[in-house]
Amino acid sequence: MASEKSSNAKTGHKFQRSGFSYEQLIRFFFASNAGLSIVILTLIIAFLLKEGLGFFPGYRRDLETYRIAGLEFVDISRNNLTAHEQLTSLLNRAYYAEVNGKSSRELKRTEEASALYNAFTDQVGPTRDLILNNPQAETDGNAGMKAALLNNYEKQREKALQKPLSTPHLTNEERQQLIESLRARPPEATDDPPLVAALAQEFVAAQQKHAAPLQEFRTVIDDFESAGFDLGSIVMEMTESVTVTKEQLQTADILEKDRKTLLAAASGEKDPVERERLLADAHAALADKPDVETPMQALLERKPECVRLHEELKTASSAAFDKIPQSLTESDAKRILSAARKAWPVFITDLDMAPGKINAWKHTDPVPLSDAFMSFLTGKKWVTGGEWQDFYGILPLAIGSLMIAMIALSIAIPVSISAAIYVNHFAKPREQALVKPIIEFIQAIPSVVLGFVGILVFGTILREISVMDAFQWVPGFPIEERLNIFTAGCLLALMSIPTIFSLAEDALNNVPSAYAEASEALGASHVQTAFRVMIPASFSGILAAILLGFGRVIGETMVVLLVAGNRIKIPDFSEGLGAFFQPSHTLTGIIAQELGEVPLGSVHYRALFVVGIVLFAVVLGINATAHHFVNRAKK
Amino acid sequence: MNDLQEIPTASKTSTTSVDIRNVSFNYGNTQALKDITLDVRRNEVTAFIGPSGCGKSTLLRCINRMNDEIVGTRITHGEIVVDGINIHDPSVDVVKLRRDVGMVFQKSNPFPSSIYENVAYGLRMRGERDKAVLDQSVHESLQAAALWDEVKDRLNESALGLSGGQQQRLCIARTIAVKPTVVLMDEPCSALDPIATAKVEDLIWTLKNDYTFIIVTHNMQQAARVSDKTAFFYMGGLIEFGETKRMFSSPSVKKTEEYITGRFG
Repeated sequence: MASEKSSNAKTGHKFQRSGFSYEQLIRFFFASNAGLSIVILTLIIAFLLKEGLGFFPGYRRDLETYRIAGLEFVDISRNNLTAHEQLTSLLNRAYYAEVNGKSSRELKRTEEASALYNAFTDQVGPTRDLILNNPQAETDGNAGMKAALLNNYEKQREKALQKPLSTPHLTNEERQQLIESLRARPPEATDDPPLVAALAQEFVAAQQKHAAPLQEFRTVIDDFESAGFDLGSIVMEMTESVTVTKEQLQTADILEKDRKTLLAAASGEKDPVERERLLADAHAALADKPDVETPMQALLERKPECVRLHEELKTASSAAFDKIPQSLTESDAKRILSAARKAWPVFITDLDMAPGKINAWKHTDPVPLSDAFMSFLTGKKWVTGGEWQDFYGILPLAIGSLMIAMIALSIAIPVSISAAIYVNHFAKPREQALVKPIIEFIQAIPSVVLGFVGILVFGTILREISVMDAFQWVPGFPIEERLNIFTAGCLLALMSIPTIFSLAEDALNNVPSAYAEASEALGASHVQTAFRVMIPASFSGILAAILLGFGRVIGETMVVLLVAGNRIKIPDFSEGLGAFFQPSHTLTGIIAQELGEVPLGSVHYRALFVVGIVLFAVVLGINATAHHFVNRAKK
Repeated sequence: MNDLQEIPTASKTSTTSVDIRNVSFNYGNTQALKDITLDVRRNEVTAFIGPSGCGKSTLLRCINRMNDEIVGTRITHGEIVVDGINIHDPSVDVVKLRRDVGMVFQKSNPFPSSIYENVAYGLRMRGERDKAVLDQSVHESLQAAALWDEVKDRLNESALGLSGGQQQRLCIARTIAVKPTVVLMDEPCSALDPIATAKVEDLIWTLKNDYTFIIVTHNMQQAARVSDKTAFFYMGGLIEFGETKRMFSSPSVKKTEEYITGRFG
């Protein structure tokens, strides 16, 4: 400011300011570096917004096509049909669970015998192959060699029979019989040992025996299934016609886009000849508007038929569903059947609402931009690259990210904060010098390596634990997928422990030691001092540590991509806490997985950018909150 | 009131409160105190004076074993007896010792909680839950520390909102709330302005009927004003110990005279 004022002093006086000083140069150097980072951040945000915001108009057009072409109309019937298929599959599963559960003794017996037999053949396999597939031994009639190979085989056989697998469901006699039959087995034999074959037959017989009383249930399931056939065939017909319309619309869109590009090029072109040529091209590209009205009228004429078929489906499936057995005896079957009973009222309500929806549906309803917004923010489906219709709903990803973060934090917070308290208040100096670097060392493990360990070690161990009888009370056990929310959460906990630990330890360290002295001088014990004075005083700092850990968990990509299972579906909360053992996808994972494969500038590409913006905003918000707490702690 | 072991009847009547016998103390390999012998009387104010690094604060912190917290320090020789009990005896619980030997620090250090909680802290840590007992103790202690009238309307406000002098008096209130027999003060007024200093000195003077005070100070006038006895330390050794009046008028050692008159220090 001062330099801008005009000077009244004579030049050359003894306090004269000399031009551009060395100090200013240094100042400029540092200022430019600080400025650079701000510029880069601004550029990143600008880029994200530029790429991302184009998503909503594009997605709106997609949804419009979805409506104009009639896909939306078909989906009303289609969704109900899918629900019906899922119910059928549940009933089938319940049926087989009941039959197999009742034959479980036979199942185990045949499994154990086969396992023993298979282990035996695996072990003697190589030596046996040598005897059977040795052309030299055949042609030369080399008796010595043959004998040596046979001898080798017998040795291997005895070795294999020394410690056969355990077979708790076979009687000792049966076991002995099986082992003897294996011992007496000639190398060239190919048929199963008699006991194995007999047990397999026993199992089939048991299945048949137990299926007999369930004959009625079987018929009911078949009736239930066939109730959907009529609706299925009409949906298939409609699907074909609307897909054609949709493709026409999309082609027209692409041509239109090309034409606009040509026109833009023409208006910028200075050479009149060239411009004429471009304009002519643009005119040529002017596509006829595809005829959507005719197929649409044909589709709308099917409304009454659709309504009728819905009502028929309802009547037929209700009649069948009423006849299913009140209860089954096997626990697995009971569980599946009750899941089906839970899904039933939802299905029926949807069926009841369908005729109304079908009649009210209009292909001319406009699709406002807000629909694209809402469909993105509250959409329960993220479907891409399908032949039918792409949906970009962020909900399954956001829920996956949040559930993983919940697991990670509920493990990491107690562990890392207790560790920080221990190191800061109770550890001896030597322990302190040991524990702190070790915990912080976890940070040095590259996340891809951690993910690797997660898949191979942790996922496998978790699944093995989940099938143990002792842990069946845990909701969601036995787990179906080795890679799931819980596995990812555990690994992320491991990754966030060093972050939370370091920051929490710093926060505890920043509490003035005068508080500790005062407290101890008042006759408080060490534990009392730690818990009544030191930890409360560092509360803000600890909260900030937790928030920053949360930010790290939400933003982590590699581990979740490798370990979370990557199923894009909102977990099924009907299992309660068991939902945490289902696979899931995440906000970060979807970007990493799909960005490399999408066409540049497509709606899908832009959708991923919007997911990036959401992620950016969330992490920014978390860090800002954490910052606020850190500042409060400093006061 | 005494949480230490059974007190021999002889020591109850004795006028000696803290008896320091031939104590030597090391920080690592550096000897900080050399063979100190000193006898602090009950209900008297004893001042420790001396130049920086002479060991007076070290000796003070030995009396409630605050030096235990510093790694590498130890008493190499001698013993300290409080109310007839050797405080380094293996059977002594240092937490109980500190309930009887309270301490006020150089820099006021109230906890970041309310005024009420600061004063009630010591009793709470002792397991006192009765609200009435706590209320009374807070009232009495604040009154004894001449702070009650200033803070009675804002007991639930943060102690960090008080002025420096008020904070230091709050620390004194907090210390006497647990009814110690000895109160150690480590330069309690060094961070205070003259008016606040005068208030704290008055406080010491009025409280000495109930407590034994040992006060470390750099301020010669303060020592002269508040103490009954003065001990002068130099280079880890006790140079002179005696009645304050006599020491300040006619010191028997030349070094003491030089220090008191400001020739060095």
